[in-house]
Amino acid sequence: NRVVFNLVDVAKGVCKPNQAIVKSKKSNNLYLLPASQTDDKDVVSEEEIKKVIDLYKREFNFVLIDSPAGIEQGFKNACAAADKAIVVTNPEVSSIRDADRVIGLLAASGIDSRLVINRIDFSMVRRGDMLSVEDVQDILGIDLLGVIEKDESVVIAANCGEPVVYNPKSSAGKAFSRIARRLCGEPVPLTDYIYGQSFWGRLTRRLGVA
Amino acid sequence: MKVFEFLTSRLFRNKHSGSIARSRLHFVLVQDRSGLTNEEMVEFRKDMIDVMKKYFIIDDNGVEVSYERNGASTTLVINSPVLRRRVKAVNGSAPGGKIGNSRTKSHKEVRRKKKATQQGGDKVANN
Repeated sequence: NRVVFNLVDVAKGVCKPNQAIVKSKKSNNLYLLPASQTDDKDVVSEEEIKKVIDLYKREFNFVLIDSPAGIEQGFKNACAAADKAIVVTNPEVSSIRDADRVIGLLAASGIDSRLVINRIDFSMVRRGDMLSVEDVQDILGIDLLGVIEKDESVVIAANCGEPVVYNPKSSAGKAFSRIARRLCGEPVPLTDYIYGQSFWGRLTRRLGVA
Repeated sequence: MKVFEFLTSRLFRNKHSGSIARSRLHFVLVQDRSGLTNEEMVEFRKDMIDVMKKYFIIDDNGVEVSYERNGASTTLVINSPVLRRRVKAVNGSAPGGKIGNSRTKSHKEVRRKKKATQQGGDKVANN
């Protein structure tokens, strides 16, 4: 365990910003700033968070801020310094409802968001027992960044503490890679199979029947 | 097998939970986006019913207030079965007693009510 300092330490001036970040063993340009495991989310104010993130913005091309689910203080803190947002949702009623609320709050703060649909099961979509990619897009109304299929290799990788993106056989890993490339500005097209789930599905879509 | 799946899925699509999820979401999201709290909705419905009763005889329990989503815009829909228009009594007060007190009335009951009011009584039959 190489974690010595965390975000709260940086915010309170206990340590310098470069002392708190941990370099990834697998990637040469990835660093992690740990959150505090023991403090409440209220210990640091939104202004303090923004100051901390601004320090790192000077040194890094991307600062990815992990936000807790929901719309409580943790979410507000994450928004304080964000320029853009990625909203992750499952194709399920309660998840979409929360995502809708979050998108509204982000828009009210002037933060653009893009959508990632996670844990989608295309055979369930074919059967009509799960909302499709088009359904979720229609409902939430923001641009789609990527789609990640439900994939066992995610659980296995998490068990081992290994990033799933390094597993070449994992469909979720490949989806994460595509998302990362799109974030970097590469025009990676959305894979065709996320729409119209079967030959007949695609055919009826092309004929405009679906 | 795929052909069979395609045909049956087209036929039975509406019976699958996906379409139920879609309509539940539409209903709930429009409410979420409208900004009225549950208490405000109850107040609104009560006020609407009071206004309607000035002009119509309606069934309180039949009044439905809901939202419809048409693409990007939201429509407020108020459904109320209207039985007949409310005829104002001779002495100026609306028959049927206090506002907020009406229910489904048969033809006979309405006639009886009108009579009672015209006789100047403030007791209302079958309220």
